[in-house]
Amino acid sequence: MPAPAPIDPRGPRFNQAVLSVALLTGFLVDWRPVVPLFAVVLLAGAALGPKYGPFLALYAKVIRPRLAPPAEMEDPGPPRFAAAVGVVFLTAGALAFAADHAGIGWALALVVAALAGLSATTGICVGCEMYLALARRRPMAG
Amino acid sequence: MFMARAVIVVVILFAIALAGRLYRAWRARVQEEKPIHPLVPDSLRAGADRTWVVFTSPYCATCGPVEARLRASDRGARVVKVDATREPHLADSFSIRTAPTALLADGDGNVTARLVGAEAVDEYLRPAARPATG
Repeated sequence: MPAPAPIDPRGPRFNQAVLSVALLTGFLVDWRPVVPLFAVVLLAGAALGPKYGPFLALYAKVIRPRLAPPAEMEDPGPPRFAAAVGVVFLTAGALAFAADHAGIGWALALVVAALAGLSATTGICVGCEMYLALARRRPMAG
Repeated sequence: MFMARAVIVVVILFAIALAGRLYRAWRARVQEEKPIHPLVPDSLRAGADRTWVVFTSPYCATCGPVEARLRASDRGARVVKVDATREPHLADSFSIRTAPTALLADGDGNVTARLVGAEAVDEYLRPAARPATG
């Protein structure tokens, strides 16, 4: 199987920054639709690829051309896995809202907001580390 | 209610900043505490007196140029490239977290230099900055 095309690592960090700000703002003003909305946003990027994530596409088309080329490209696997973990949390949060458990819904959303903010500001991507930890346990091909 | 939520948001932002600082401090401490490496295996050194082991990754844009610079600048040394994703156990044994990371091994396999990142390699290869080696 051919290796997936490498990506500019600043794209996922921009996506995470938008996600974190949106979820924290949504929590602040108690706007619950932000949770399922960003579950869909993350799902598009994670399931279909970076160009289908609206903020990843915004970064690639509008912001990246104005920046210097990245010093290093990265494997898209870890950030996609991290986004998939985010989708699970946000979907669970949306279901909690639907079941009238707003506290649980916001708690799950705030976990995602905190981890996305951590990754965007420091580069510590917990979901990516999970992916790498799983990859190390996988038997090598060949 | 808004104030309570604002406090929670501030606490989260503070926690993010604190976690970032703690992580950086931990990484710096780990780097300082881990100069004791295992010996570079004979299979990589092949009897050479000086061996550069350059740990790379498939999408590392700076790894190829680093390897080339080491080959050009240190002609007396053997230079070996290791894809850390294909040799995860070897990479883990040397606590490799960044590509490129270049290790310099002497004839007995002892690691005498560890350069993390292309800039560190460039810095090392500047004649004024390079420590005297036997």
